[in-house]
Amino acid sequence: MRLLNVTAFFFAIASALLLYGLNYDTRRLEAEVQVKEQLADRARDDIAVLKAERGALARPDRIDAIARQLGLSPPRVDQFVDGREVSALDERQEGGNGR
Amino acid sequence: MAADVNGGTARRAEAGQDVRRRRTRSVTETAVYAFLFFAFAEVAIHLLTLGLEHQGGVTLAVSEPVATSFSRPDIVDRNGRLLATDLEAPSIYADPGIVVDRDELVEKLATVLPDIDSKELLRALSDRSRRFVWVRRGVSPKIAQKVHDLGLPGLSFRYELKRAYPDGKLAGHVLGSVNVDNRGLSGIEKYIDEKVGTDPIHAAVLSTRPPVRLSLDIGIQHALEDELDAAEKLYRTKGAAGLVLNIKTGEILASASIPRVDPTWPSQALDSKHLDRVIGGTYELGSVFKTLTIAMALDEGIAKPDTMVDVRQPLQVGRFTVKDFHSSSRPLSVTEVFTHSSNIGAGMLALQAGSDKLENFLRKFGMLTTLTTEEGAVAAPQLPDRWGRAATITVAYGHGIAVAPLQFAAAAATILNGGKPVHPTFLRRFDTDSVDEKPIITENTSREMARMMRLNVSGPDGTGKEADVPGYRVGGKTGTADIAKRGGYSSKSVISSFLGAFPMDDPQYLTFVMLFDPKGTKETHGQHTAGYTAAPVTGRLIARIAGQLGVRPMEVVASQ
Repeated sequence: MRLLNVTAFFFAIASALLLYGLNYDTRRLEAEVQVKEQLADRARDDIAVLKAERGALARPDRIDAIARQLGLSPPRVDQFVDGREVSALDERQEGGNGR
Repeated sequence: MAADVNGGTARRAEAGQDVRRRRTRSVTETAVYAFLFFAFAEVAIHLLTLGLEHQGGVTLAVSEPVATSFSRPDIVDRNGRLLATDLEAPSIYADPGIVVDRDELVEKLATVLPDIDSKELLRALSDRSRRFVWVRRGVSPKIAQKVHDLGLPGLSFRYELKRAYPDGKLAGHVLGSVNVDNRGLSGIEKYIDEKVGTDPIHAAVLSTRPPVRLSLDIGIQHALEDELDAAEKLYRTKGAAGLVLNIKTGEILASASIPRVDPTWPSQALDSKHLDRVIGGTYELGSVFKTLTIAMALDEGIAKPDTMVDVRQPLQVGRFTVKDFHSSSRPLSVTEVFTHSSNIGAGMLALQAGSDKLENFLRKFGMLTTLTTEEGAVAAPQLPDRWGRAATITVAYGHGIAVAPLQFAAAAATILNGGKPVHPTFLRRFDTDSVDEKPIITENTSREMARMMRLNVSGPDGTGKEADVPGYRVGGKTGTADIAKRGGYSSKSVISSFLGAFPMDDPQYLTFVMLFDPKGTKETHGQHTAGYTAAPVTGRLIARIAGQLGVRPMEVVASQ
């Protein structure tokens, strides 16, 4: 009987400790999740800022001005070539190079 | 003796048992104490760890109700390029209970925020029962740092979402704006609130909703705005407007009204000067309207392209006389009525059809009812009070009826779309929604109108020659409408417009350019009519955008 009591006592203490441990583990995990969520939120905010910055840098008026400074302009009609003509040109070039 | 021996054995046995019992007890006690020791040690370690891990972690509970803000989905163009997004931005608030010196606080704040309403802030801070007063919402991190560096007690910061428009004023009218709580006030922003949805938030939490994809292409939008800006300077106009529409899908690829608005300044849009003329204003469009009149005449079987119309005598409308800009000494064919832009010819064709047919035709094209788009309701058309003889004649050449440019563009696109109704939209469409709809004019009328529009640009007598872009088979119609003034019209002030489309062998895109009160230049020989102003603007625009739109140019000779 005594052995049973002692065993029960040990089990009770062990379960209490286990629960105690689990409780704190849960809280620790919760805190970890919170930290991860905060990190994810921060990353999302950073992505939003970077996206906005990329958008501002790729503004068509900015690109337009830079392109014109570099001497570029909208394509002219004579700059469009049929795909078949390009293939024919490639073939001729390949023949000419002796490949 | 034997008893002594037995007694001794029993005592020894008892003593042995006693020793075992004591040993067992001491082992048990030791085990229990060890167990308890380790258990408490574990608790102590936990406490120690918790104490070390959470140093300085303080959570502040604010009992004062804090204003709710909203997180909004991003807005992107048809190719996914960002037009509007939410960003975290610091907002400054004050706790009147903690503020030490109100006057000093307001005075010092004004050095960083010069446009602050000092009186209003002082009044709000005087109420010590309040614990929360907004000072300025959505400031830049730099400003927030400057305010922080002032070291004023009672001021605090809170992160909120603020709408950002990375492209600045580009497509400002279409995008609309939001208020300080991030709620849509106008344009697509308002549409998002009403139809897409936003999420109420108490902290700066970005929206997880998918972005709203518009039909706009920011490359085309920029080209349109740039050309309108240039036209405004060149012709010293009092504003300009234009749009590019996909005829097959109804998608609006660009829509601009000059002067532009900055979506970050919502109050700007309230100024009438900044009205979005594409959807917000109605105008008597002048001769571009003949596109509808001639289409009606052909479709109703009243005339054929080669039917001759005697335009030598002016038309009398009450006390007014309808004349042609370039009077003709011979009768003109219907095609020539279109390419010479004859007011008399259009009026005569409308009279021949009768006011009922003209009115019904315009109704069929949705010109008599209010159009609605995602940007908002299009301004309601202004119609003649009575469709009598005078109204029939004037409407035929685009006077006496005022419609929004977008509404007219949609009707013109329907004509070029084989008669299938075009429903303009600011949202990306992945299918052509008019495919299943019944054409409202015949395929033949549509083809004839496309041919006439091309002839008007490529022919030697066409009024739209300046809009031609070799290789891209541009077609179109000019419109120069006198602006109404008290007691009549002023021919000195006009609205010059050009309705363009390309490639005319199978029209895909429609452009509509309007210049308000343009002035002639040396290059235009002082002329301000559409053929000299709006037509060349359209030509330059198409030359820039046709390649971006993937329209393959033809050999110049073949395209004529």
